[in-house]
Amino acid sequence: MRPLQRFLSVSASLLLLGAACGFSACGQESESEIPVLRVYNWEDYISDEDDEENGYIDLISAFEEEYGVKVEYSTFGTNENMYNELLINSSSYDLVCPSDYMIMKMIHEDMVEPFTDDFFTETDRDGEFNYYTMGVSPYIAELFETNGWTRYAAAYMWGTMGFLYDPESVSDASLTYWTDLNNEALQNKFTLKDSVRDTYFLAVAYVYHDELLSLGDRYENGELSDKDYTAKIGEVMNRTDPETVSAVQAALRKLKKSAYGFEVDSGKNDMVTGKISVNFCWSGDAAYSIYEAAEENDKTLYYTTPAECTNIWFDGWVIPKGGNVALAQKFLNFISRPESAIANMNYIGYTSSIAGAEDEVLEWVLDSYALAEEDIDEDSVLFDLSYFFGEGSEALFYANSDDAMGMLVAQFPTEDIIRRSAIMQFFEEEANNRINMMWEDVKGAEVPLGAVIFIVAVTGALVAIYVITKYGEHFVVNKPKKGFRKIEK
Amino acid sequence: MKFHFSRKQLCIPYAVFLVCFVILPMLLIVFYAFTAENETGNLTFSFNNFIGFFSSPSKWQTLGVSVTISLIATFFCVLIAYPLSYILARSGWKKSNVLLTLFILPMWLNFVLRITALRELLDMIGFLGNYDYVNTIIGMVYDFLPFMILPIYTQLLKLDKTLLEASKDLGAGAFTTFTKVTLPLSMPGVYSGITMVFVPSMTNYVVSETLGNSNITILGKLIEEYFSTYANWHMGSMISIILLVIIFLSMLATGGFKNDNENSRGSNLW
Repeated sequence: MRPLQRFLSVSASLLLLGAACGFSACGQESESEIPVLRVYNWEDYISDEDDEENGYIDLISAFEEEYGVKVEYSTFGTNENMYNELLINSSSYDLVCPSDYMIMKMIHEDMVEPFTDDFFTETDRDGEFNYYTMGVSPYIAELFETNGWTRYAAAYMWGTMGFLYDPESVSDASLTYWTDLNNEALQNKFTLKDSVRDTYFLAVAYVYHDELLSLGDRYENGELSDKDYTAKIGEVMNRTDPETVSAVQAALRKLKKSAYGFEVDSGKNDMVTGKISVNFCWSGDAAYSIYEAAEENDKTLYYTTPAECTNIWFDGWVIPKGGNVALAQKFLNFISRPESAIANMNYIGYTSSIAGAEDEVLEWVLDSYALAEEDIDEDSVLFDLSYFFGEGSEALFYANSDDAMGMLVAQFPTEDIIRRSAIMQFFEEEANNRINMMWEDVKGAEVPLGAVIFIVAVTGALVAIYVITKYGEHFVVNKPKKGFRKIEK
Repeated sequence: MKFHFSRKQLCIPYAVFLVCFVILPMLLIVFYAFTAENETGNLTFSFNNFIGFFSSPSKWQTLGVSVTISLIATFFCVLIAYPLSYILARSGWKKSNVLLTLFILPMWLNFVLRITALRELLDMIGFLGNYDYVNTIIGMVYDFLPFMILPIYTQLLKLDKTLLEASKDLGAGAFTTFTKVTLPLSMPGVYSGITMVFVPSMTNYVVSETLGNSNITILGKLIEEYFSTYANWHMGSMISIILLVIIFLSMLATGGFKNDNENSRGSNLW
């Protein structure tokens, strides 16, 4: 947004605000001594209810109480809405929680305040323990470090994208690849995301299926190292050249014909109620659906990430320029405490990036999933999460097969899934426009022929009726009844 | 200075409202629609959005889809609402008010709730996911039917009964009386019903998203996408303006701008 634009929007919103204030006697100056932290987060993305039985904590109130501050908490629905809001009211938030590509974009556009040095030591300048820096998973920390985000962003939730499916109607083997959506048996049974970037990712994997698999083979043969394999996958999955986009367009048009529809929210419940059997979704939503389906319908759902590659996504906290850095960092450390992270995972179902300084989160994982020695049988699956909790952690355990194919793998992908994963970069404006135009075309529907025929027929009939009632008497000569005589003048 | 109260001053609250929430936003929309960012990032006057809209096949398609859905939904609304209103208005039945309330009742429920409930119903009969267009039209008709019933009903209710008697006296049968007297005199009600159904049907994308599983994009959805996903407020505003023009034209076509005298008794008879 450019200066004039900003001026106009600001003046318009000021006018509205002024009008509103006139009625509501704006301002509460008396409370201004209490420091205020303005947090801008996704909808339903923090544990904000006290419930010991389910392990929820009202984190916002707890933070307010402990630090004697006031939190002004507001939410957004999409990254783009959040971004537009920040452009218009640039200094009205202290902490926002965008997704990966939006963080990159904001860093790129110099909209983000870096963390202070004392955020990265064991304790901050007040001597308080830095729960985020000391507790964040080594895997996430390395991911941030190699991409250069450590200074600007603190990871919050993370996960993969894949298929949530109902094993009763779809077999595991029939969802090995992204291209498996192209299957008669799934006609009208799967959904795509009504979100251009996510569905673009799916379609790129669909288009470059062979290339991605051959990369996998080369890795298996030892031709590629771990790092090279991941890097090459990342390169393929971030292609935005015109040929890729038009191939994606063709693929999506084809998929749209056989898909049940596009959704961003309704898919979760449609899986639970069984309207669809495959849902292309974020791992956190998968965890939610798996839980709901088991609770409400006594139904088992599984989650799988296709063999070509998957998308590693994360949401992280950044401080917009002009935000209250010190207080924001206090809040970050507060929600990064292991007990807060666990409360969040219990409440929203998404996976926290926090491992805990003493692997407290691992204890929670083991409590929830690890099988005792005597319960292990031939169906149990050996799970290794040491990549996430760090070398030397005791993150090797057996889980039952339902968890290993469902809840557990949705919350914590295994290392081989991580290896074939890519982060989606933010696209340059030109590429972005190209993809948006492609998306608009894919989303547009054709006018059905039947409807046109119907409209033409009805219009024709109406015109005919009108003409007949209006001028009918000129054509139809009413014969005089018997006994009447026409009077000639 | 003495304060003179005049009745005109009672309009001040509305005038303030009008300026803040109607005129200013409209001006902003017009401003955005006819500007574009040049390479240096400054805003310049431009017709690019206008040209862009009409040179894009997918936007034409969306426009076509919206108009098609609206036309069919409006047609079915008239088809259902007219006979119903006719019976209700002419029955002389004392309880007809109860019946009318029954048809208006859904309007008291939250609209999203109603559509969500309808989605489950359509799923039960197996329409959901199979007939996206049919479902969307059903949703629109369901949603906007009361807006068609009410104006037709009021129009028929205030129809001068002596005209019907006169028609009978002059030897017209029931059918002729209907086509020559009742129908023409009730047309203003039908017209205002049409504007109230046709226009929102082009933009009510909650219906096409919920019942059509987002497989259908109508103009309202396209505007939303331009403001949020594509972050291009200029094109979004341009589409809004084009929609406004369509609304204006449809009002013009259905005589929404005729004043009361023209619509008053008997004017549609001859």
